[in-house]
Amino acid sequence: MKIGIVDYGMGNICSISSTLNFIGINDICITNDFDELMSVDKIILPGVGSFANAMKNIKNKKIDIYLDEIVLKSNKPILGICLGMQLLSKSSDEDGLNEGLGYIDAVVSRFQNSEIKIPHVGFNQVDVCENSKLFQNIIKKPDFYFTHSYRMISEKNINQSYCCYGESFIASFEFNNVYGTQFHPELSQINGIQLLTNFLNIF
Amino acid sequence: MLRKRIIFTLIYSDNYFNQSRNFRLQRVGDSNWLKENYKFNKIAHSIDELIILDATRGVKSINNFASSLKKIVSNIFIPICAGGGICKIEDARLLFQNGADKIIINTLLYKSPEIVAELVKIYGSQSIVASIDYRLNDLIPEVYITNGTEKIDIKLADYIEYVQNLQVGEIYLNSIDQDGTGFGYDYNTITMISSILKVPLIIAGGAGNEKHLLEGILIEDVSAVATANLFNFMGNGLPVARNMLNLNNINLANWQDY
Repeated sequence: MKIGIVDYGMGNICSISSTLNFIGINDICITNDFDELMSVDKIILPGVGSFANAMKNIKNKKIDIYLDEIVLKSNKPILGICLGMQLLSKSSDEDGLNEGLGYIDAVVSRFQNSEIKIPHVGFNQVDVCENSKLFQNIIKKPDFYFTHSYRMISEKNINQSYCCYGESFIASFEFNNVYGTQFHPELSQINGIQLLTNFLNIF
Repeated sequence: MLRKRIIFTLIYSDNYFNQSRNFRLQRVGDSNWLKENYKFNKIAHSIDELIILDATRGVKSINNFASSLKKIVSNIFIPICAGGGICKIEDARLLFQNGADKIIINTLLYKSPEIVAELVKIYGSQSIVASIDYRLNDLIPEVYITNGTEKIDIKLADYIEYVQNLQVGEIYLNSIDQDGTGFGYDYNTITMISSILKVPLIIAGGAGNEKHLLEGILIEDVSAVATANLFNFMGNGLPVARNMLNLNNINLANWQDY
């Protein structure tokens, strides 16, 4: 199996690729080239940093146009991680309102509760939705590592699982061939390894 | 529920790992020693995060540090925070490329706030941990930079406000007086500053056993307890400590072994 990690200059790509290696995936291409991305079986969209910056980089490199083709037309499975997950939404209000890739009917905005410390950092439990495939063979209410100041919400059913930090927000979703986790599976020990294995094996 | 965290800190200097006492370094062993005494791929489930600090005195080589970092973090799947001597954006980028998920900065906060702002812009607040070293003088905490050698003329509380305004994501508060003593954390100062915290607080300096970790983690505003005590947590010291905290019903993440 060949996995493509989208390289748009932002993200802890090292941790993700070493986790994939551990799972037994050695054919990894870290790229922003259309033909290379078309040649892989599955795509991971990583991301650390600001939404606005990320979308700017993606548009400058025309990655948005490539991904539309690969994700919407060729239906390749894609997993967005942390900021990468947020980029799959319609918009975020981080540094002004910015459009996302728009594959998911969801929006991203800052945590609303003023009582909590921002960012939300550390392991937190996920309330896994029924019918989840991403969380197969993972213990109930599993702990995953989060680190973010903005969170995703949606009124639609996108097979979302929730996490709570002062308020309830989307921890993950599984919608057609588009998947996302607000947490970092690659930093979440055995739970994360199992989740990534599920993404690779099931979809 | 958001969990509290146990963090292990490795003090690196010139290819060796060190026990620090009041910021004086004692060489303990190289990466082979570390592998024998801290099998991170086996004991990673007893810590929530690993911080690796380059405390080399004088001229530091960020390239050497980055290659050591890469060796340590292979096959451990927990958040890695690295720093010590980051002076420019390229230094941070190098650490991110070699396995860091977050970076930790100290002297830069005071000397080059404009670079900090740039780092926040590129990597986001959540990737930047602000390290603050202090020692008590007549019970008043005084802030030090440059490996604890240079006192700055800003009160600790004001300095915390200052770094929070730089939009850092977390604060790593380290007591130089308690560092490496094994006498426990500086609970007074920690309690005193907790009301002004807007970001998660990691406390460091003084933990010599699991009881200290427990005492620290019980402080409401403490998000994470860190220890850099290489001697006291060797072998299965970290698993024993986590187990003890679990027995005391501390709100910690659970994983199975792998």
